[in-house]
Amino acid sequence: MSRVLLPVAVLENEGVPLGLVHLLGTVDVTVLGYYELPEQTPPDQARLQYEERANAALADIVEEFRDAGGDADQRLVFTADRQKTVDRVAEETDARAYALSGVTGPVDRLLVALSGDVEVDEILDFVIELVGDREIAVTLLRAGVSEGATSAEAAAGELEDAGIGVTAKTAESATPLHALVGELPTHDVVVMGERAPSLQSFLFGEVSERVAAESVGPVLVVRRRRSKRA
Amino acid sequence: MATQESRDAGRNLEGDVPDFEPTVETAEATYTDDAELERTLGLAGGLAIGVGTMIGAGIFVFPGLAAGRAGPAAAGSFALGGLVALLVALPTSELATAMPKSGGGYYFISRGLGTLAGTVVGLSLSIGLVFATAFYLVGFGFYAIDTLAELGVSLGDGLVIPIALLFGAGFTLLNLTGTENAAKLQNGVVALLLSILATVLLWGSLDAVGLVGQPSAPERFAPFGPLPIVTTAALVFTSYLGFAQIATVAGEMKRPGRNLPLAMVGSVLIVGTLYVVTIFVATSAFGSERLSTLGETAMVDVGRHYLGSAGALAIVVSGLLATMSSANASILSTSRAIYAVSKDALLPRWASRINLTYGTPHVALGMAGGPVLVLVATGRVELLAEVASFLHLVLYGLICVALLLLRRDDPEWYDPDFRTPGYPIVPALGALASFALIGFMQPASQVIGLAIMLATAGWYLYFARDVRLKGVL
Repeated sequence: MSRVLLPVAVLENEGVPLGLVHLLGTVDVTVLGYYELPEQTPPDQARLQYEERANAALADIVEEFRDAGGDADQRLVFTADRQKTVDRVAEETDARAYALSGVTGPVDRLLVALSGDVEVDEILDFVIELVGDREIAVTLLRAGVSEGATSAEAAAGELEDAGIGVTAKTAESATPLHALVGELPTHDVVVMGERAPSLQSFLFGEVSERVAAESVGPVLVVRRRRSKRA
Repeated sequence: MATQESRDAGRNLEGDVPDFEPTVETAEATYTDDAELERTLGLAGGLAIGVGTMIGAGIFVFPGLAAGRAGPAAAGSFALGGLVALLVALPTSELATAMPKSGGGYYFISRGLGTLAGTVVGLSLSIGLVFATAFYLVGFGFYAIDTLAELGVSLGDGLVIPIALLFGAGFTLLNLTGTENAAKLQNGVVALLLSILATVLLWGSLDAVGLVGQPSAPERFAPFGPLPIVTTAALVFTSYLGFAQIATVAGEMKRPGRNLPLAMVGSVLIVGTLYVVTIFVATSAFGSERLSTLGETAMVDVGRHYLGSAGALAIVVSGLLATMSSANASILSTSRAIYAVSKDALLPRWASRINLTYGTPHVALGMAGGPVLVLVATGRVELLAEVASFLHLVLYGLICVALLLLRRDDPEWYDPDFRTPGYPIVPALGALASFALIGFMQPASQVIGLAIMLATAGWYLYFARDVRLKGVL
């Protein structure tokens, strides 16, 4: 079964919305409790004081996942760099995707973005496993046209074969980000792919972070396959 | 790296025990039983801490003072100080790679030499850092006045202390509320500083050796004989307090086995070279006698001498940045030093509390910030510098001793990634040189330093007599 990493700022009273708990019932979940510290505080100093409290809160969240029928475990990290922590733990747990937090009720519409340089097959495989045999509708969105990329229609065919109700949309004029933001109000959760590192992401931040900033609901980011390391 | 189970380590007066967690260290994180600590600092971050802490004093406060005492041979004093720093940096690197934990020098000494030495060093270091911070802030005050003077607002030296006080309180508040991206800012400040300095110094060096500009008459290298070189080295050693601060972030550094030694030795070499060239350029510009009359901000006139008002402005701006970065880095180190001893039950546990709103150690920052302001108010630059050096030198000497003892006993857990070259001569010389420099300080500084150490020993007897730390990881 695939694993999803769910970072939660557990000491800042962040919780996990029940809709997300149920959505992730079909996959394994690692709840990653983190506390992001300014550089003047040694992480160990925060651990000394808050470890117990944080782990108790995490145990409650894990309990929620188990009640909902999924399997979950927990990790707690004190860090000065959230993204580095997410990447490291995702690598260590071999997670297929990680979540960016947001609020949602019961999830019945997923927005799946295929724009840009993303691994479409990875994303589709993940969506098929996530949705399973549940009544969750999927909108596939591709903005802009690029050579040799899987079209939204071809991708839709793959999901339909798996028994998922799909709407395919292509927005040729809008930029990928604008097209996605326009669809946000009618969907509960966004699934998108992690992009290859680029100058743009270095300057403006990850696209997924910008989507999460615009979106009220959670965003699931499907990680790129890492080349096997020695 | 595996560590043994903690054993009975005794209790302090309040009944607290030292907090020992068995840990597993990797290049990217520290794993305790129930939590993980991310390593987020790279080599550049480590170098910025080392260089950023040290550079404020050596270039921007001392040239005038040092030239007045030793003449052009002040360059030799800085070189001597740098050599001592290097002799200590190598053993510190070895211990830091063997024990890559927050706490730095204090941690090595408490584990290598026991609780008494640990308490004295840990508390003296916190107090020494308070003195160092006050010293940098006064330097900052001088540069603030000069910057305003360059911009045409003349306030006079009477406002140096009030400005230093104002900014001291400001830095403390800033650190209390959490400074987002402060690390990146510090890296940028240090890079900017180094490039300004390199430009001014390169031009100055070309001029001084007679390739450009007017030839100047050489003066005698050591007009006051060899002894002032050594006593001046004792004074200017404050310019090298900083490389060991890198060890206090050992727990947060990525790939500590590689990055810690590189950052420590590298930052000493970088600032040492800059100091020696600065003094050479400064004494070539004016001659040491005139330089000494220019006081704390002599470098501004050096900049003006070589590059006109643009040079003067470049130096005042760098001086502001450098003293600010040193003061800020020292306040942060103080709060880390307080945390390290409080974790080991040598101070009450509340001293290391942090608040959830900002994630900052408000108690320790307050304990550092208050006394800093009192010391700034005294305005005694040389005394502040020497007491800070005294307390750091005790730490440095004992670090070398701890290395010698650990290598001799070779406990099972001792497995450093980096081994000091030239063992046992380098650590032995490092210890001797550190203690010897103390001997060349002004009597007043020695008395204050000793009194502080005695007071911390008294605290040990009162509060933490039953705590056992030696060899407990």
